[in-house]
Amino acid sequence: MSTILVWRKQLQNLYAKFSVYIIIVLKLIAGFLVFSLINSNIGFMEKAASVMCTAGLSVVCAFLPMIVMTLAASALVLIHLFELSIAVAVVTGVYFVLMYIFYFRFSSGTSWLILMTAVSFTLKVPLVVPVAVGLLGTPACIVPAACGTFCYYIIRLVMNSSSMFKADGLEGMIASAVAFAKKTMTNKEMWVMVAAVVICILLVYGVRRCSVDHAWKIASVSGVIAAVLVCTAGNIALDVHISYTTLAISGVLAIVTGLVLEILFLSVDYTRTERLEFEDDEYHYYVKAVPKFAVTVPEKSVQHINERQSSTGENTENGWGNDSGWRDDDEQEEINDPHSSDDDEDMDTGWSESNKKEIEADTILLTRSLNKELGLDVSERNKPAEKE
Amino acid sequence: MLDKKKIKLMSRMAAYDKKNAGPDLKISSYYKKDYVSLNTLISILWITFGYIIGAALYVLCNVEFLLENLTITKLLLMGAIAVGIYFILLIIYGVCASSFYGAKHHKAKLRAKRYYRDLARLARMDHTRE
Repeated sequence: MSTILVWRKQLQNLYAKFSVYIIIVLKLIAGFLVFSLINSNIGFMEKAASVMCTAGLSVVCAFLPMIVMTLAASALVLIHLFELSIAVAVVTGVYFVLMYIFYFRFSSGTSWLILMTAVSFTLKVPLVVPVAVGLLGTPACIVPAACGTFCYYIIRLVMNSSSMFKADGLEGMIASAVAFAKKTMTNKEMWVMVAAVVICILLVYGVRRCSVDHAWKIASVSGVIAAVLVCTAGNIALDVHISYTTLAISGVLAIVTGLVLEILFLSVDYTRTERLEFEDDEYHYYVKAVPKFAVTVPEKSVQHINERQSSTGENTENGWGNDSGWRDDDEQEEINDPHSSDDDEDMDTGWSESNKKEIEADTILLTRSLNKELGLDVSERNKPAEKE
Repeated sequence: MLDKKKIKLMSRMAAYDKKNAGPDLKISSYYKKDYVSLNTLISILWITFGYIIGAALYVLCNVEFLLENLTITKLLLMGAIAVGIYFILLIIYGVCASSFYGAKHHKAKLRAKRYYRDLARLARMDHTRE
């Protein structure tokens, strides 16, 4: 467990250092996935479905806010549908406008969830996003998740029965629009999946906010079970054909995702839970305090023993001092510790020397114990250095 | 000599300036009541437009069912149901939009206030230095 926590800390440090680039790369991957899936499923317009177009859109969207990617994906879908049938494009455009009017005018920040939900459905892992959203989001996220499910089923309908919606003339187009609208609104499988996604998100959110031990794990598992039950009930009662294999694989992956998210965003030690009880004039308090895992990443201090160091020693002896290019101890400390400015402030606020020494001793002890636990025995490596 | 307090203050202000300053200053230039009323009205217009589109789509999908055995009474009943749903939707969205924009104005005002306070502090620091 401590190894995982050390990795987590290292990951956090890495993200803090390169967050700008990491976000751009993630957006690039997400964009490529979204646009390539749209083009591979409903790529009716050849120019828009080309690899160049996919790559270009992904690169552009990587440097812009996520709402732009959602708009670009909507435009791409409409362009492809326009090539197939104007009626289908118009009806789909109306759906998009309704989504904007009733929800995304108020909360455009969560519009990327539509894309992620649709992508997860296309990759046959429909339960991963609802579980992740339930763990990290709010109940308001059910709207974009439901919209994403709706968009996926629109695309799937067009993909499976594109020849049905091709029409010429005004009458043909009206008939095509009516058929398309009817098919989308009476798609039982879609409504079952929308219900499963909504119930899964609400249940996961509700359970993870409970004060029981391992709430996140229970929430993930219960959300997956509820979604599978809803889908099974839909299969039996409404005679739809949701694949059980897909549900099982996606359920397992959703639980694994939940575990990973718990490690990344909530690592607490339930064995050291404390229950407190106290009162003031107005209330009686029952407090449950769960301590977080606190891990210090062991810093590898590499001691260079070579000719240059010995010559430096000579130089110092000869009175050359630190001007020869070697950093003094204070400078080294500043480089190793990015929070050195905080230390300076602490010094200003009156930290005594003894306190500092105690903290240093604690840090050394903690680092040693961690090194031992992780099998990084520094003392063995330092032995030859000490000898010399 | 670098002044750490000043650097922190300026960093915070620059981050705010880059992210939220534009919309926040625009929002906080309105009185809360005016801002909430205006945006709720705009939302109601959007909802009306959306409802008309949605209703048209529903009629398009179920045109055969709706025109089957059409009588004046049935037509009036359908009209009453449509108007009833519209008003329910209007009330729900009106209340939600009003509280949403109220909270948005409040938050924007707080952030803008802090920004102006930081500006004043910065000016004081410069003045003291001189």
